[in-house]
Amino acid sequence: MEYKVTDIKKGIKLHTINTNKFKTNIIAVFLTMPISRETVTKNAVLSSVLRRGSKTMPTQEQISKELEEMYGASFDCGLDKTGDNHIIKFYLESINDNFLPQSDEKMLKTSIEKLLDIVCNPLVENNGFKKEYVEQEKENIKQIIEGKKDNRAKYAMTRCIEEMYKDKPFGLFKFGYVEDLNDINEENLYDYYKELINECKIDIFVSGEIGEDTNEYLLQNENIKSLNARTPNFNQSTLEEKEIKEPNIIHESMDVTQGKLIIGLDLNLKNDQEKYNALMYNSILGGTANSKLFQNVREKESLAYVASSSYLRYKSNIIINCGIEIKNYEKALNKIKEQLEDMKNGNFTDEDIDNSKKVIISTIKSIDDEQDTEITYFFGQELTGNETNLEEYIQKIEKVKREDIINIANNTNINTIYFLKD
Amino acid sequence: MQVIENLKVKEKLYTEKLENGLTVMIIPKKGIQKKYIIWGTNYGSNDSKFIVPGEKEVTEVPDGVAHYLEHKLFEQENGANSLDVLSSLGVNANAYTTNNHTAYLYECTDKFYEALDEFMDYVQHPYFTDENVEKEKGIIGQEIMMYDDYPEWKVYMNAMNAMYHENPIKIDTAGTIESIAPIDKDILYKCYNTFYNPSNMAMVICGDFEPEEILKEVKKRLIPKNANGEIKRIYPEEPESIVQQKVEQKMEVNTPLYVIGIKDKETGSEEIVKKHIAIEILLNILFGQSSRLYKKLYNDGVIYSSPMLEYEFAKGYAHVLITGQAKNPEIVFEEFINEVKVLKEKGIKESDFTRIKKMIYGSYIKEYDGPQDIARMFLADYFKGINSFDYLEEIDSVNLDYAKQVLDEVFNEDRMVLSVVKN
Repeated sequence: MEYKVTDIKKGIKLHTINTNKFKTNIIAVFLTMPISRETVTKNAVLSSVLRRGSKTMPTQEQISKELEEMYGASFDCGLDKTGDNHIIKFYLESINDNFLPQSDEKMLKTSIEKLLDIVCNPLVENNGFKKEYVEQEKENIKQIIEGKKDNRAKYAMTRCIEEMYKDKPFGLFKFGYVEDLNDINEENLYDYYKELINECKIDIFVSGEIGEDTNEYLLQNENIKSLNARTPNFNQSTLEEKEIKEPNIIHESMDVTQGKLIIGLDLNLKNDQEKYNALMYNSILGGTANSKLFQNVREKESLAYVASSSYLRYKSNIIINCGIEIKNYEKALNKIKEQLEDMKNGNFTDEDIDNSKKVIISTIKSIDDEQDTEITYFFGQELTGNETNLEEYIQKIEKVKREDIINIANNTNINTIYFLKD
Repeated sequence: MQVIENLKVKEKLYTEKLENGLTVMIIPKKGIQKKYIIWGTNYGSNDSKFIVPGEKEVTEVPDGVAHYLEHKLFEQENGANSLDVLSSLGVNANAYTTNNHTAYLYECTDKFYEALDEFMDYVQHPYFTDENVEKEKGIIGQEIMMYDDYPEWKVYMNAMNAMYHENPIKIDTAGTIESIAPIDKDILYKCYNTFYNPSNMAMVICGDFEPEEILKEVKKRLIPKNANGEIKRIYPEEPESIVQQKVEQKMEVNTPLYVIGIKDKETGSEEIVKKHIAIEILLNILFGQSSRLYKKLYNDGVIYSSPMLEYEFAKGYAHVLITGQAKNPEIVFEEFINEVKVLKEKGIKESDFTRIKKMIYGSYIKEYDGPQDIARMFLADYFKGINSFDYLEEIDSVNLDYAKQVLDEVFNEDRMVLSVVKN
């Protein structure tokens, strides 16, 4: 595998990952900007409108037909909230030429052209996007926003984070707000798009068997040529000081059979190495089947089927997630608090530390076995300005000691306890 | 070992049936860090009535035993839980139960052989006690309740109930809180001894391995056991007709969820792959992203995303499933029925057929990247009597005439059901 970054223009980077491990090539375009209430809903509608049609492929039907002709190239776009940034992501995955029945096709080149066409060359009518598309996609986004309750477990998690980051950028819902949809129309959305495409941070990833000529035809691409150099505005994730306060307790009701107990933790980290220590702390607390939460809340007490925690590295938070019988709320909460106390007092074994190191290192080693995981990893580095390679990453995990983990535990506080019940 | 090579996807399958009846399949993947192993038994939630080899009486066990057994197999006599032991080696271990098979697996980058010791040991050595069996009722109870909160699970199960009168596919894989209550260690041992015989099992390994070497390592860890005779499985007679056309459940959801099901008959293993490919092509012509129906429903604001299109089958059942969310599922159902009629009358356009076939070809190629996807696919297909490579081999032979024939045979209005979950 060979990873290379080239500045196409100021603010626009090309990341190539040359690898022959896969049957497919992936092209990805990421548009990054700070997340804000003013733009979050617009971005959601914009990403949906762009996938409806370009000047050369004006309908969804036409885009679909062309992709099907390319042996079912899959195109997708989505939104991500990474730290305090909002990212519009476009992906196109197509079969590597070696696996095509006819050998004369140039699938990678076609894929790059198609994707850039969708992102950079949208269908425009009378100085605006196509009205019909904008109206339909506003409705579509409305459904997504209103549908966030449909997956109870995910909803509980989203709600907990919203409460932890009330009135702060990270508390924003990545698909935006229904009340903000009204003001969006085909003209102002197009104006917004022009501003965005000329100002935001753009990262283009190409992963697969990349020939010598790939860089060249990217640079020759008309859509790329049409983009300006820019000084992009985005939030480089930094360690923030967390205020210590009484936990915020929120109970909400819905027609659920099982209660969803979500606990949001704040971690006060002082330096970069502590991010790796925190990863270890999370793994022992609730990251694996050996973890304290899984063992004590699930296996010993039979209180839950799901009992785990996850680490939000960009925001220095850990989110604990348990599905429990509603009447067991107090019992489960106390059990979880007990585990947090145990961590502070160093009540975990050296074996726990070893196990967690093995699990994390195994995950790091397999990053380049999956094409999209690898892209996400390199993009994460791009956003944090961190250039740790996989070997250094492993070393940083290996050097974490017992006292480092206890230290993290003692700088961890409950921010919010969220319970979704009937 | 038998070697089967597929030139389209450029992969090889090494396979051998051992003396004790166990089938081992190895798909080497050069240069990949991840190693994946999965060991399955041809035993799932549908197998609750059977005759133990050598016995005359029919044994009937409560719903949910296969899944319960899967949870409990990790318990060891020394008090350890094998899931923890595997975890502590840094490997990612898991297990799952479906209607027709149960599988144990792990994935790792290092310590593959240490993990293999534990893995093959625990699958071959059950240890059930009154106490450890009882303890699991709380955990599985929470698992069942978790599924109760998933509208997508409800809408699927209701569709099964609308299609099937008798077939156990209509019963939840995990059973119910009531059905698992009487499960005890004797029931678990009986099912284990019947279904976890090597002759009823298969193992698939995928990763950077030398096939001969890994096979030797597997053989070394097998405990001596003789292949037992055939397990007679008793499935209830299932009429061709559906139970009811429409079923609706109220749940707090924003956009209604729907499943359109088309009940089909079981197909012999010589034709099933070809038929499966034809159905995938037809479904995409009818309701794929480039279809007239999708465009119309999207533009009318009835649907917001493309539905999932599948053909599910195993012993005793087969059905088409169209799963999605829509403002008004009734309209989707009507329009779909109408679209089928139109396609039958007007015929399939050659250009659509060729284009969609290309797309399906690509989707098969894409299945060969991750060791996990590859191994799981080979195992699941094996228990259906299929070698996964067959899809790539047979796709060329699926022509327009055959697709037409399948369209007429399978897409019958009187075997279509609509299941809806809405507010």
